[in-house]
Amino acid sequence: METHPDPIDLLSSALVGREQGFVELRLHRKRQRAVAVEKGRVETAQSTEHTGVGVRVLEEGTFGFASTDRLDVASIRRAIDQARAAARASARLRTRAIDGMAPADLARGRFEVPGFAETEARSLDEVLDLVLRTEARARAGANQVDSASAAYSELLEEKAIVTSDGARAWLRHVRPELRVGAVARSGGELQRGSRSVGVTGGWECLFRATSADGLADDAARIAVDRLRAGYPEGGRKRVLLSPALVGLLTHEAIGHTVEADFVMSGSCAAGKLGQRVASELVTLCDSGASEYADGAGGTLPVDDEGVITGRTPIIERGVLTGYLHNRESAAHFGVAPTGNARAWEYQNEPLIRMRNTYIEPGNSSFEELLAGIEDGYLLDGPANGQADANGEFMFGTQEAYRVKDGVKGPLMRGVNLSGRAFDVLDSVDGVGREFRWDLGSGHCGKGQPAKVDAGGPWLRCQVLLGGRG
Amino acid sequence: MSAPQSAEQSAAQSSVLRPGDERERLRARCRTAVERAIDAGADEAEACASANSGTSVQLEKGDLQLARVKESESLGLRVFVGGRIGFASTNQASSDTSLAQLARDAVTLAKLSPVDPSAGLLSGSRIDPRPFLDQPRAWDIGPERVVDWAADLLGRIRAFDRRISVDQGAVNFGRGSSAVFSSIGADAAESDAGLSASLFGMAIDGDEVGGFDSRGDYARNAEGFEARLERLAREFGTTVLANLGTGRAQTYKGAVLLAPAAVLDLLVEPLVGALSALAVQRGRSAMAGKLGEAIAASAFDLVDDPTDPELAGATGADREGAPAVRTPLVEAGVLATYLYNARAARIEGRASGTGHAVGGPRGVPGIGPHALVLGPAKPSDEGQLDFGRDELAPRLGRGLLVGRFSGTVDPTSGDFSGVAKSARWIEAGAVTGSVGETLIAGNAYEALRAIAALSSRTALLGGRCRMPWALVDGVSVTAG
Repeated sequence: METHPDPIDLLSSALVGREQGFVELRLHRKRQRAVAVEKGRVETAQSTEHTGVGVRVLEEGTFGFASTDRLDVASIRRAIDQARAAARASARLRTRAIDGMAPADLARGRFEVPGFAETEARSLDEVLDLVLRTEARARAGANQVDSASAAYSELLEEKAIVTSDGARAWLRHVRPELRVGAVARSGGELQRGSRSVGVTGGWECLFRATSADGLADDAARIAVDRLRAGYPEGGRKRVLLSPALVGLLTHEAIGHTVEADFVMSGSCAAGKLGQRVASELVTLCDSGASEYADGAGGTLPVDDEGVITGRTPIIERGVLTGYLHNRESAAHFGVAPTGNARAWEYQNEPLIRMRNTYIEPGNSSFEELLAGIEDGYLLDGPANGQADANGEFMFGTQEAYRVKDGVKGPLMRGVNLSGRAFDVLDSVDGVGREFRWDLGSGHCGKGQPAKVDAGGPWLRCQVLLGGRG
Repeated sequence: MSAPQSAEQSAAQSSVLRPGDERERLRARCRTAVERAIDAGADEAEACASANSGTSVQLEKGDLQLARVKESESLGLRVFVGGRIGFASTNQASSDTSLAQLARDAVTLAKLSPVDPSAGLLSGSRIDPRPFLDQPRAWDIGPERVVDWAADLLGRIRAFDRRISVDQGAVNFGRGSSAVFSSIGADAAESDAGLSASLFGMAIDGDEVGGFDSRGDYARNAEGFEARLERLAREFGTTVLANLGTGRAQTYKGAVLLAPAAVLDLLVEPLVGALSALAVQRGRSAMAGKLGEAIAASAFDLVDDPTDPELAGATGADREGAPAVRTPLVEAGVLATYLYNARAARIEGRASGTGHAVGGPRGVPGIGPHALVLGPAKPSDEGQLDFGRDELAPRLGRGLLVGRFSGTVDPTSGDFSGVAKSARWIEAGAVTGSVGETLIAGNAYEALRAIAALSSRTALLGGRCRMPWALVDGVSVTAG
């Protein structure tokens, strides 16, 4: 970081004399470069930088947080004092003191996910060319395509984390993403198709599965096909979910309910550790690493509490075995932290968030899974999703294909699907063997945004579809 | 209510600039940034800056979790060079040297971009702030008072019913100023301060976990804030308790009753997205070519009213420094206007937009409303949580009440599909109980025309907008 020869030295210097209790300092430099094009016009070509130090203290059994955008020892010490004052102010009215911070495998040293230097060095000319070319290709995809858009962005993040109990870590990573949309028209009707990809890594990783041209072609095809598509029937149906939708299922239906802060508030996963909650075919994990394939969009070697991340099993062969923790919740439950504390920017405190959430691959081929559906749907193309405290989840799909006697029919318009998380996982009767990360673009929202990823194999289960009557 | 302040807090507060002084400081930073951009080769330049501070007390797991004091400042610079756009933003622009570097970055980006004949700014003039954004009433509120309010809110929830679990929530105090200045005359600055509170959680009764709900409120005035917290706690508590004991709905296609939050999500937000002039120009709006046409039932009157001081989005100037004024969007069901920022106006060769540039210093201006009001601006009487239900349920007779919508609305086609949350079943015009696992699907633009009735009063949704209840026909309901 340009502002100080060594950000760990800067934070360590600011900490001297203020180590009492628990103090966590995070210098977070976040730069974004973004280009957006719609219908041949550049809507934005921008670069932004937001850098500062976030300070969290645990004092008198409660947390205080302050931040500064000034990168000098005096300003950071002032922020420490502000955070202490804030903690003391609320400690007097807190009903239960926080148990403390669980001991952890705290990071020391430098951590880097590949791709940062390559992406930082890439010229804006090259980025503009990619986005203009991709948008033009989507717009030329079919006569009925009336409009298209393409947007590229990359988040370059560098962090230094120093805590009063021993973390001394520096890390950096880059998360590029490309989004393509197309709008097709027939008479007065408009339909939209979209495709996106996002990773942690460089461009080689970003386009490892599908090229930018491929994304543009897909977006145009979906928009046009949806013009003539019908609506699926509503009701409880057997479905084959694509890896992207399996990712949404793991994230929305299970992931949020096992975030330990939500568990402590009484989510449907509370008190179920050790219980069977899913089919034996299901093993579900969250990981700071990119398991099975490189570049997962939530990859994080060290979390924002300075904890080294790893693979966290949540459901193993159908049995609920763990929750996602920060150091506070780990202390409460008497377990090791899992490295799930994440903050969006220097001004934000770390919250329990997912990283890369997935279902492990099984033994079935795609053809075998499809053949097992007598009357149902194949669903693909993720849209938004949401989870409820009672385990009821919903998420949207862009594409639905009717399946009759194991044969895939024509495209129908996407629908939203819902169900109770554990009921749906209990209904799983087939898990594919091909694995894919497919949810790396966009953000998860929980007060703050977070870049996450999710994925898995093709998976067969039963859900409730919201079709047209 | 407020407690004595610590030395640190007093010191921190004493450094707070008065609103007028802070605006002048930001205006000067913007003016310097624009000058540096012209020096660096820009034909036109516009700077937008904001400075914000405040206290937020986070609630989590039914307790005070974290108290945060916040200070931040950002500046964004948009430049045009030969019909090419560049934009750069930073929170590290405290010196003239750093402003000069920001200007060079923006100009460099612009020089790499392709030429767009319609790229550029619109000329502007100085706009003075509305009175309540000149000297905000709640400018000086210390952290201890915010903590007291947060504890007060939690206490009210606990007193209401011990089965209620607050998963997340917050009481926030924020104050800030913003300024916009351009090389062709735009010059606007205003200050604002407000209090907000939010609750997110559910009720738990034995082994049963009810569906969650969320509620919020906003005020520019600290007087009476405790009474607002009481109402917030009561409304939130009533809703999440009623989410316990869910039964099963019935599958049908027909009329549903939408609560104000569902009206906003299902009907109003998709429509407002389609009213963006850029969406129309780019061919992705279902409202293209419909100016002056009936697009909704005749009871549908939608206004953007940035003059309403009760709404958080009230402002005197938009993100580009153009006047923000009360704008009817749909009158008696007839589409009255699209929303324009400078870019959309220039594409059509208009001399001015409609004052609907939105956003902050961290990005280029978008298009959107400031403060939406649907239906009569007559607010609900305090304490009448279900004013619209009682008015419209008898007209529904039998069917589904949607408290809020958790799903997807395709803004291009208007197709929607998702889960009815905080949903109730109605028989003979009265609620018989809560229902779960119920999906609804339809088309938002068809639903606008299928509005059978709107309630005669509106609810203030988290300080963002005023929405009524609505009875809408033609919706597919799928019961799980």
